[in-house]
Amino acid sequence: MYKYDRWLVNRFIQFIPDTKGLLSRMDRPAQKYIRVNTLKITRDELKERLVAKGFVLIDTILVDVFAVQKSPYPLGASIEYLLGYYYIQDLSSCVAVETLDVKEEHVILDMTSAPGGKTTLIAQKMKNRGSIIALESNLNRINSILFNTFRCGVFNTLIYRMDARQVARLNVRFDRVLLDAPCSCEGIIAKHAARKTSRQPKDIEYCSSRQKILIEAGIKAVRPGGILVYCTCSFAPEENESIISYVLDKFPVKVEPAGYGTEGLQNFGDFQFRQEIKNTRRLYPHIHDTLGFYIARLRIMD
Amino acid sequence: MYRQANAKELTTLKRAFHNWGIFDFFLDKEILVNETDNKTKEIYLLAPRAKEILCGKDAYCAGLKIGELKKKFLPSMQGADIIARKSRKFSHIVVDENAEKLVLYGRDILGSSIMEISERLSENDIVVILNKNREAIGVGRTRFPAPLLLRPGKVTVTTIVDAGYYLREENN
Repeated sequence: MYKYDRWLVNRFIQFIPDTKGLLSRMDRPAQKYIRVNTLKITRDELKERLVAKGFVLIDTILVDVFAVQKSPYPLGASIEYLLGYYYIQDLSSCVAVETLDVKEEHVILDMTSAPGGKTTLIAQKMKNRGSIIALESNLNRINSILFNTFRCGVFNTLIYRMDARQVARLNVRFDRVLLDAPCSCEGIIAKHAARKTSRQPKDIEYCSSRQKILIEAGIKAVRPGGILVYCTCSFAPEENESIISYVLDKFPVKVEPAGYGTEGLQNFGDFQFRQEIKNTRRLYPHIHDTLGFYIARLRIMD
Repeated sequence: MYRQANAKELTTLKRAFHNWGIFDFFLDKEILVNETDNKTKEIYLLAPRAKEILCGKDAYCAGLKIGELKKKFLPSMQGADIIARKSRKFSHIVVDENAEKLVLYGRDILGSSIMEISERLSENDIVVILNKNREAIGVGRTRFPAPLLLRPGKVTVTTIVDAGYYLREENN
């Protein structure tokens, strides 16, 4: 009825609460959110302008993020968008940046920056102070970072054309590292229905092995006492709790509570995860009205 | 390669920032020059901490492009945005809502759609194009001196850059 590959649904049943609710929710368009760019406008000013134009905006758990119930035209076609007053961004991405606990004076690494949504949010939290290093290896995707950082008036960011696995070459230790890891993207099926059937188990294996390499590079780049936030838009435990489990075995890191969302899984199949993995968070479309997302906050110990 | 502005460039930039009314805004920030392959000097604004991190590591992009330096400083869309927010007195025109939409598609401006012009504009002056909320929506060049800029039925200001440019580029 929902037209997914059977293997995928069989997996979901094992670890997603109310799987039928999820499948049903994913067949409806994802909730749209906009994040106010406070570098350029206040929340109240933007709300007043958009409401006067016929937008219906609903408050969310984050003060600068609105759920868009109704818009008179596409969100990317308004003058307010062109002037960089808001960014079209899912609530889950904003929650991930919230988890990073950014301070104005920090030096921050965004390992997979394109198209720049989280980078620009970090910059706004830093009030354009401190420094962000944004990495992206693909030139076309770098252009999307440029478009968004310029539009949002960001001037504390250095963009490097670099594979995130090579970050050690920069020889910088960061206060905070954000790794929004490339993944199988199961969580965005509401936006890309083709993913119901386009992925195979081997894709999850491939992503998982790549994620281990990336998170290792990220952890090595954090200064002692600093924080790495790891996130994906996948539901797969192999790309989420298993990755955190892997680094817990290998590095002196602590998993800190990540805030909003459902607790991380305690087991998958026969595998039992460590107790502290409960501190990671899962966001589900049918429960949290976001894209599917996973967030882990790791404190790097001395 | 991003580098510090040399003494001559710095003098030109400081004078330009003074003329645009944004000299004070740049006092606690870093200004860098990036010479492109076609010898254009792009001017970037960068937070001081980011400048320290940049040292010795050549970035693809460092900060916010605020304009280009030829004989004079030509503000980019982002430079115009800073001018419109921070400056009290600068060369500008204010256009009506109809013209605003056209400017965002890169179109030039008819005299009849200009609602206001700043003092002492001459032919070939660079102006920030403002909408009725006084937000920068573009940068233009005057085709006539001030009294003639409001002439109906004639294009009187050429749009050089506009806030819709990047989106059009991205869609292409």
